[in-house]
Amino acid sequence: MSTVLENLVNRPYKHGFVTPIEAETAPKGLNEDIIRLISSKKKEPEWMLEFRLNAYRHWLTMEEPAWPNVKYPKIDFQNIIYFSAPKPKKLKSMDEVDPELLRTFEKLGVPMNERAALAGVAVDVIFDSVSVATTYKERLAEVGIIFCSISEAVREHPDLVRKYLGTVVPPGDNFYASLNTAVFTDGSFCFIPKGVKCPMDLSTYFRINTAESGQFERTLIIAEEGASVSYLEGCTAPQFDSNQLHAAVVELVALDGAEIKYSTVQNWYAGDESGRGGIYNFVTKRGLCKGANSKISWTQVETGSAITWKYPSCVLLGENSIGEFYSVALTNHMQQADTGTKMTHIGRNTRSRIVSKGISAGKSNNSYRGLVKIGPKAENARNYSQCDSMLIGAKSGANTFPYIQVHNNSAKVEHEATTSKIGEDQLFYFASRGIGPEEAISMIINGFCRDVFQQLPMEFAVEATKLLGLKLEGSVG
Amino acid sequence: MSALASAKHPYIEALLQGAEAPASGLGWLNERRAAALERANALAVPTMREEDWRFTDIRPLTKVQFHRAEERAHPSMAEISGYIVPEATVHLVFVDGVFARELSANSGLPYGVIVAPLRTALQSHAAVIEPHLACHARFRDEVFIALNTCHLRDGAFVWIAKNQQCPTPVQLLFVSTQHEVAAHPRVLVVAEAGAECTLIEDYVSLGETVHFTNAVTEIAVGENAGVQHVKLQREARTAFHIAACAAALAKDARYASHTVTLGARISRNSLNVAQEGEGAQIRIDGLTLVSGRQLADTHTLMDHARPHGRSEQLHKCIVGDAAHAVFNGKIMVRAGAQLTDSAQESRNLLLSDKAHVDTKPQLEIFADDVKCSHGATVGQLDQEQVFYLRSRGLATEHARALLTYAFGAEVVDRIPVPSLVEQLERAVMRETKAGVQL
Repeated sequence: MSTVLENLVNRPYKHGFVTPIEAETAPKGLNEDIIRLISSKKKEPEWMLEFRLNAYRHWLTMEEPAWPNVKYPKIDFQNIIYFSAPKPKKLKSMDEVDPELLRTFEKLGVPMNERAALAGVAVDVIFDSVSVATTYKERLAEVGIIFCSISEAVREHPDLVRKYLGTVVPPGDNFYASLNTAVFTDGSFCFIPKGVKCPMDLSTYFRINTAESGQFERTLIIAEEGASVSYLEGCTAPQFDSNQLHAAVVELVALDGAEIKYSTVQNWYAGDESGRGGIYNFVTKRGLCKGANSKISWTQVETGSAITWKYPSCVLLGENSIGEFYSVALTNHMQQADTGTKMTHIGRNTRSRIVSKGISAGKSNNSYRGLVKIGPKAENARNYSQCDSMLIGAKSGANTFPYIQVHNNSAKVEHEATTSKIGEDQLFYFASRGIGPEEAISMIINGFCRDVFQQLPMEFAVEATKLLGLKLEGSVG
Repeated sequence: MSALASAKHPYIEALLQGAEAPASGLGWLNERRAAALERANALAVPTMREEDWRFTDIRPLTKVQFHRAEERAHPSMAEISGYIVPEATVHLVFVDGVFARELSANSGLPYGVIVAPLRTALQSHAAVIEPHLACHARFRDEVFIALNTCHLRDGAFVWIAKNQQCPTPVQLLFVSTQHEVAAHPRVLVVAEAGAECTLIEDYVSLGETVHFTNAVTEIAVGENAGVQHVKLQREARTAFHIAACAAALAKDARYASHTVTLGARISRNSLNVAQEGEGAQIRIDGLTLVSGRQLADTHTLMDHARPHGRSEQLHKCIVGDAAHAVFNGKIMVRAGAQLTDSAQESRNLLLSDKAHVDTKPQLEIFADDVKCSHGATVGQLDQEQVFYLRSRGLATEHARALLTYAFGAEVVDRIPVPSLVEQLERAVMRETKAGVQL
C-alpha cells in the first residue's frame, strides 16, 4: 500500500520550465541607490520614494524573526536581484503579448485568452514583477472600477494610493513587510467605488521567472461603502535549484457594508525530494474591516513552496463586521508550512470563523498558528475555529498553535482541533466497494477539505481538487 | 561556590544567597548542584519577550528583594491544624522551606513505604534517590528550577517499594510565615513497579505576607504503578508562587494530577509529564479560580514518547474582577509514539469586564497513527441555563453563582480525597458567592 502512496506523492513538478525572456535587471544587492533606481524606473512621485526609503531605513534596524516553526539557511539579502522587468513594450492587444509568454501560460494549462473568455475573468498578468497586459479593463472602467498594476495606480491615482497604502500593513509592521515596502516592484491595485458590485471575478496570475529574482508584490484592494469584489490569486513557478524569496504584502480595506473575498491557489515550486530548491513564501496579508457591517473572507489552498509562512488576517474594527479564513495547506517531501490567521476583534458584535485543514505527507512539517484576540471593547464578539490535521506517513509532523486572548467577558470563543490519519480500515472499506487506493485517498482528502473548497469560486475549486490529487499521488499506506 | 559572584543578573545573585551549603558527602549531588548553579548564573529572569512567558509579567516579583528565612519559633500545631487533611494521617510540614519535625507525623507506615525529609533520606536511601533527584526536572533552561536545585538540601521524599501501597494519602504541607522570604521546597516521589500512592502537595501562608515560593517536584512512576497527585496552592494573595513539577512514567504507569490554584498574587504552575514507557496513562485536571488582581499561569506538557499512550486533560479557569488567567497546554507526540490517544480541553469563564484569559492549547505531532484533539472555549455563562434557573424562582445573581460553582465543581469532584473535595467545594462556593445566597 505504501508504495502506491509514495508513487502518488513523488510526482515531479509538472510546471517546471524557464521562459527565456530578455529581462532588464538591476545589479544584485540592496541599498538606497537600488531603491532610487526602482522608484525612478517606475516613474514614481517623490512621496513614494520617501515612503520606500523610510521603510528601508526602518528595516535596517529590524531583526529577522526566528519564532516560526520552520528551518532554512540564512537569507543573504545582498545576494538578491531586487528589480527585473521584461523590456518595456507598448501593447495594444493580447496579440502583441510576447508569444513566449503566451506559450508559458499554455503549458500551465491556462491559456490566458481562453481563460479570460471562458471564465469571464480579467487577468492582470504579473510576469516577473511587471504587468504585461491587463484585459477587461474597459468593461470594469464602465462601472467605475479601477483594476491595474500598482505602479500604474501610483502614477494615475496617486491620491487613492497615498490614502490607503500602508494603512493596513504599516511600513514597520514586520521584517518582511518593511522589506517589501522598500523594494516592491509591482502588484495589483483594485478600487471598487461606492455601491458597485464587481461584475466579474478579478484575478492575477503570478509567475516567478528570472532565477534568483526575489518577488516583492504589493496588492492593495479597496472596497468602498456597499461595494463587493471577489479576487483570485493563483500561482505556479518554474523549477529552480537555488531558493527564491517571495515576500509579498496584500492589503484589503473594506468600508461600511463592503465585502471582499480573496482566494488563493498557491502551487509554487516546492523543491525536490531532498528539499533542495523551492520558493520561500513569506507573505503578509491583512484585511481591515474598517466600516460597519463589512466582511472580509480569505480562502487559500497552499500546496507549493519549500516554506510557506503566512497568516492572512482580519482586523475587525467596524461594528458587526465579519472575518473569515478558510485554508487547506498540503505539505509533502521536505516542505514546511507555518500558516494560519489572526482575527483581531476590536468593534462590537464582530464575528469570525476559521476553518483550517492541514495535510502532511512525506517528511514535511505542517503547522497551524492562529491568533484570536478579543479587545476590551468588542462586546458580544464571536469566534469559532476549527483546525484539523491529517498525517500521511509516519515521518511527517503536524502542529497546532492557537493563541486565544480574550479581554471581554461577553465574547464567546471556541476552538477545536483534531488530528487523524487515513486509516487502513477506511481504505479497506473503499476496496470492498471496488474503489482502488488512489481514488479512495482522493475521495477522503476531498471530503476532508470540502468545507474549504466550497468557499472557492467554481473554476478554482476544480483546479484545487485536481492539484491535491496530483500532489498526493502515491502517498497513502 | 565561588561562582556566586559571577551571576549575570544581580537579582538572581541575591536569590542565590544561602545556596552555598556545605558539600554533602554525596559526590553526585554536589555535581548536580554545581551544574545547576552554573545555569542559574548564566540564565536571566524571564521576560515577556520570551514565548514561554509571553503573557506572564513577573516584574512585580523582581521588585521585591527576598532573603533567607530567619530562625524563628515554628507556628503552633493549633495554627496549622486546620490545613491538615483528616485522611492524611501521614504528613510532613515544612515552615518557610525548612522541615518542622514537631508538626509532622510519619510514623506507623507499613513496610515498604517511606515518607521522610529528604535530608535524612539522602543518608539512608541514596541509592534510590540518585537515579531520580534533579534528573526529571531539567534545569538547563529554567532559571527557577536551577535556583531550586542550587538550594537543594532538604525537602520531602516519598518512596513506595515494589507492589506496595500507601494506605492513606500523604500530605506535604508547605507553610510560609515570614515576610519577604524565598523558600525553595523540593519533593521527590518514587513509586516502584506496581506501587500505589496518593499525594497531596499543599501550599499555604499564615497571614498576608509577601513571600516567594519556588517549588520543584519530581515524580517517578514505575512500571504499572499508579500515583494520584493533588496540588493545592492556597497561599496569600500577596505571595508569589512559581512551581515546576516533572513526572516520568514507565510502562503501563498511571499518573493523575489534580491542581487547584486559588491563591498568590502571581503564580505559575508548570507540569511536565513524560511518558517514557509504552501504554502509560496520564490524566491532568486543573482548576484556577482567581479574582482581584491575581495572575495565574498554568503550563502543561503531555509528552508522548512511546506507543499506546493515553492522556486526558481538563483545565478550567474562573476569572473575576481584573484577574488574568493564562493556560498553555501542549500535547507532544514524538515520532514512533503510534496509537497515542490524547484529548485536551481548556474551558474558561470570565466573570467581569476586566477579567481576561490567554489560552494556547497546542498539538505537536510527529506520528501518523494517533488520535489527538484539543478544544478551547472562552465565554460567559450560558444565558439559557441562567434563564432556566430563573424560571425556577432563582434571582439572576443566585443563578449565575450556582452555575459558576457547578462549572468549578466538575474539576473539584474528581479529587480522590473526600474531605478535600468538601473543603474545596466550600472554597469555590465562597469565591463564587453561591453559598451565601442559597
